[in-house]
Amino acid sequence: MSAIVSEFEYFKPKTLSVVFELMTKLQDYVFLAGGTDLICHLKEDIVRPTNIIDIKEIDELKKINLTDDYLTLGSLVTFSQIIEHESLKTCFPLLVEASMTVASGAVRNRATMVGNICSAVPCLDSGAPLMVYEAEVVVKSSKAERIVPIHEWFLGPRKTALQKGEIVVALRMKNLSSKQGGVYVKLGRYTGEDLAQASVAVLKLTQNEYRVSFGSLSPTPLRAKKIEAHLKGKVLDNKLIEEVKALVEKEITPITDIRATKEYRLHMAKVMMERALKASTERLEGLGPKLGTALI
Amino acid sequence: MNDKNNKELKYVGKNVVRKDGKEKVTGAAIYIDDIDFGPNTLYAAIVESPHAYAKINSIDATEAEKIPGVVKVVMGKQFPYRFGLYMHDRYIFAQDRVRFVGEQVAAVIARDPRIAKRAAKLVKVDYTVLKPILDVKEALGVGSENNAEAGIPKELVHPELKDYQHVPWFFPKDNTNIAHFRKIRNGDLEAGFKDADFVFEDNYVVPRYAHCAIEIHGAVGKLDHSGRLTVWTSSQSPHTQRHLFTQALAPLGFTHNDIRVISPYVGGGFGGKAGVSMEILAAALATTVPGHPVKVLWSREQEFYNTYQRQGVHAKIKVGVKKDGTITALEQLLYWDAGAYVEYGANVVNAAGLSATGPYHIPNVKIDSVCVYTNLPPGGPYRGFGYSEFLFGLESHMDEIAKKLGMDAVEFRLKNAVREGDKLAYGAKMNPNGLIEAISKVREEIKWDEIDKADPSRPHIAKGKGFALFWKAPAMPPNSSSSCFLKFNEDASVNLLISAQEIGQGYHTVMAQIAAEILQIPPEKIRSELPDTDRNPYEWQTVASHITWSCGNAVKNAAIDAREQIFDVVERALGKKREALYLEDECVKSTEEVAWSVPLKNFIIDGFMMKDGTWRGGPIIGRGTFMPEFASALSDPETGVGGKPNVHYTVGAAAVTIEVDRETGKIKIPKAVLAVDCGKALNPDLVRGQITGGLLQGIATVLYEDMRFNELGKLMNANFTDYKIPTALDVPEEIVPIIIETAQPDGPFGARGVGEHTMIPVAPMIGNAVKNALCVRVKSMPITAEKIVMALQEKNKEENKEKI
Amino acid sequence: MKKKEITITLNGENRTFEFEPNLTLADALRDRVGLKSLKCGCERGDCGSCTIFFDGRSVKSCLILAVEADGHEVTTLEGLMIKGKLTPIQKSTLKHNAFQCGFCAPGMIIAATELIRKNPNPHKEEVCEAIAGNLCRCTGYSPIVDAILDYKNFEGKE
Repeated sequence: MSAIVSEFEYFKPKTLSVVFELMTKLQDYVFLAGGTDLICHLKEDIVRPTNIIDIKEIDELKKINLTDDYLTLGSLVTFSQIIEHESLKTCFPLLVEASMTVASGAVRNRATMVGNICSAVPCLDSGAPLMVYEAEVVVKSSKAERIVPIHEWFLGPRKTALQKGEIVVALRMKNLSSKQGGVYVKLGRYTGEDLAQASVAVLKLTQNEYRVSFGSLSPTPLRAKKIEAHLKGKVLDNKLIEEVKALVEKEITPITDIRATKEYRLHMAKVMMERALKASTERLEGLGPKLGTALI
Repeated sequence: MNDKNNKELKYVGKNVVRKDGKEKVTGAAIYIDDIDFGPNTLYAAIVESPHAYAKINSIDATEAEKIPGVVKVVMGKQFPYRFGLYMHDRYIFAQDRVRFVGEQVAAVIARDPRIAKRAAKLVKVDYTVLKPILDVKEALGVGSENNAEAGIPKELVHPELKDYQHVPWFFPKDNTNIAHFRKIRNGDLEAGFKDADFVFEDNYVVPRYAHCAIEIHGAVGKLDHSGRLTVWTSSQSPHTQRHLFTQALAPLGFTHNDIRVISPYVGGGFGGKAGVSMEILAAALATTVPGHPVKVLWSREQEFYNTYQRQGVHAKIKVGVKKDGTITALEQLLYWDAGAYVEYGANVVNAAGLSATGPYHIPNVKIDSVCVYTNLPPGGPYRGFGYSEFLFGLESHMDEIAKKLGMDAVEFRLKNAVREGDKLAYGAKMNPNGLIEAISKVREEIKWDEIDKADPSRPHIAKGKGFALFWKAPAMPPNSSSSCFLKFNEDASVNLLISAQEIGQGYHTVMAQIAAEILQIPPEKIRSELPDTDRNPYEWQTVASHITWSCGNAVKNAAIDAREQIFDVVERALGKKREALYLEDECVKSTEEVAWSVPLKNFIIDGFMMKDGTWRGGPIIGRGTFMPEFASALSDPETGVGGKPNVHYTVGAAAVTIEVDRETGKIKIPKAVLAVDCGKALNPDLVRGQITGGLLQGIATVLYEDMRFNELGKLMNANFTDYKIPTALDVPEEIVPIIIETAQPDGPFGARGVGEHTMIPVAPMIGNAVKNALCVRVKSMPITAEKIVMALQEKNKEENKEKI
Repeated sequence: MKKKEITITLNGENRTFEFEPNLTLADALRDRVGLKSLKCGCERGDCGSCTIFFDGRSVKSCLILAVEADGHEVTTLEGLMIKGKLTPIQKSTLKHNAFQCGFCAPGMIIAATELIRKNPNPHKEEVCEAIAGNLCRCTGYSPIVDAILDYKNFEGKE
């Protein structure tokens, strides 16, 4: 028995224009995509919506569009679809690697990456990879479309830049034409599924240029600008790694909760940073661990 | 009687396919929540206390009662009755005060579970919040450090403790929070320590754990209009439940005859579905709405905080040893965080106290095993029943001692291991056992004497090996019994009516194998029927790893009884010489007449027709019971000596190799080996199943499961998201199960139980491996990756300090 | 709260139902349709005992509203057995004793079936990953993994 106590009306529009009509008419509503967060919250009675708008019939939101310039992920694209896509492993490996760490197969078959960023929970898996890919959130209202860069999307724990009357229709990011090597490392309490206690995404491009993002180590995912500046243009060696590890605590603000203490999180962030830097370097050369290999 | 010797067994000792298999792999097996009770069914939601300790001032149900679909709101005061298995300290609903977060205070019965849940939230309860006692030391009071009885607590969780009825082998202490104090005093402790060359003392802490059976607790009660109360429960103990329901509801006029308990398949018990926890609510609430089935189904959250938990324990261990490794004395102070009600949990404390020497020969022993009330969920039976809890400290300590003596850890254990006939700390003698064989087989399989070389390509990985012994005896009243009716059908198939429960261990299959062996009917034609107290005869409980032994004996006796009746009627009706008769291939045969046989199905119901047209015989019905008549729980309260409270011990040894990442603290397990002496493996596959299952459950407690209460006594991680039980990704790479068979003389075909034992050595074995790999001893569970990293950092700090 | 009429292709058959929006698919299948193979062990999608097929993919039915299934294909363990015949995974599970209490078995078998449909020759790591969302407290998983790795030996057998 998995009872939802609250009562609500349920709508399943087939097009975005109907969605906008409903949004105007209903005023109080929540969107339902994969549902792996929302249904849980309904059962815990954390949310009590009057109306649920199920967007899963809207075909234009289901597409993965990969061109030479851009990747566009519709807001209904699931983590499984990202993992199974034939080309994303090569062009956007961090999206695939992060997706592989989300929950389990049956959840990945429903949960969407856009749903993940809309939840904006601090431990989300999509945040750090999207930050290093400098993704953009494509938002539509009945009147207009706007683009929100991912670093402006997360305003705080469970808070995003989405306004009333808006819906996220896609994520998009530039297709990096140059060589890249990257790694997504996630700290869990064991090998089985877990919510991240810490995560780091490293993208290494040619000329020793790095993009580094931490997740679950601050209220929102962040780009580690100090670390990126320190790494830029330098050959990776043990001395550089030690210097970067020392910078880690200047970038993040880990907390203590029932999952981990801030001391352990800080310690692990450094360990993960080191292993991620080494693995990204290897992957840039076409070597390194197979996608999805746990580094910690 | 022709008892074949074990070498010629046809069905016992074979990997017979499980009888419940087809139902389970097709999803057809019925569990409590699968039974349809019809549109008349009502659903209950419980109003629970948000406080760990508080006085209940008033309960206002007016808002709740207004909700359409609410049939009744039941106030706690309607059921002011106490009950309990070993001690009557537990309430159906909290009365004047609540004693743990989540304790039931009232209930809403409604036509739909969602309505019940919504209405329950609208019941307003006014509390005066009291300061909860969340810590054993606080519960014992100032002055209790080295002597629990000397403490003076500030507050009593049960001020009326002295009025509580309890079994004669419990010793509560008035005006304290000590519900039971088990003392063992054997030999001369002081002399023992004087005699030692070294004395080693240390403290170990084991927290609470949750069973986490995948099926949650559930019960449905119906009081029909004839006045009969039927309760369907997911239960390991239908007869004991009936007994406790009767006890609790006796003030309403119920007797045993009025109550019937039926139990379908149980989706995992591990002790959590033994006794009575939430099931009493279905029984009680049913009496308020006669004619309606009332379903009470727990959520996963409630499963965590309002069913039995495995108790936490603080252990202080002091051991004296001679230079050559001989143990001369042991002192163990075990202070148990037993929770708000200890009607079952107090026996865990008792069982642990009796056996906290571990499987060692120790001449001078002092054990204080103290059951302490706290404002936390009630502690109760959990696989291992106190042994996992004390063995963590004991086997960690033994390992430390060996290292400090410069002795090999296995040699140290061999030197001190208990042998058959040794006198145990409470006076009884040790049964035949294969402990030495288990130790040497495990030692060989894990290649104990070889040191795994470090891998230069992985410099941050440290390798280690750990070893542990274990033992456990069934902890049960001395008159725990099993019984069996064995009936035939016209085709000579058999129904075994037994009230032990199939909780996953495969017991239905094994009982069928036993009957099959005696009757020489294939197990495929022998059914074991799920318990129904109206139809199946008495079984105490499916706990304590004693069903193979006890119910197995009852089934064997019933089969022998049936066999004797078969021979009787063949002799009487056909004039055959009884001594020559035997059973084979579902027929009766005779050693004197090789060509003659009569199929059982010809007469097993109908009997034999004589020449004159009259008949002899009729339906053959076997009857068997088993109750050990040598067990006794009488003992001296000050020494524990006397009686034979433990029928026998199952023993074994286990070892593990681990790889620890020094930087992350994470542990991988390349190999685990566990040898258990089951006396006789009636179904070897099922024994191996207990080994792999128990091993992983043990690994989970030492590496992953981590119960967190906040400062107000609320459980913060009452879900699988944050209380982590292992997935298929967390299993050791290689598990080697080893079956040892040193016969249990009074066991069916020599068998004794193994269900709990396979979990018991795992935590200390891994703790010992961590010490071997990293030179760091973690003395509290769980040994998480984080703890290891922090311990290594601490160690580095100490070493750097020393260098300066 | 208005009930909604929905049509589901359920175990190969077109069925029409009227469900309240706040009814989960797990509860609808178990309590309204009578398909009891899927279980509810945790309500949060952690334990996997409610796993079924939704448009051919494994999903946790306790995290789906019944009304979401309108126009979709839903298959439970009952629907995998054509005319009551056991699938090779089920036969292998029996032979390997890859269950004990049986509560997780239906969800586990669905997850395993999804794996071998996509990947008929999985190796051990892939099997463990495929069933990682299905918690088992009894077996320790190794007999389950062995059973899945061995399923081909039960194809085409009675």
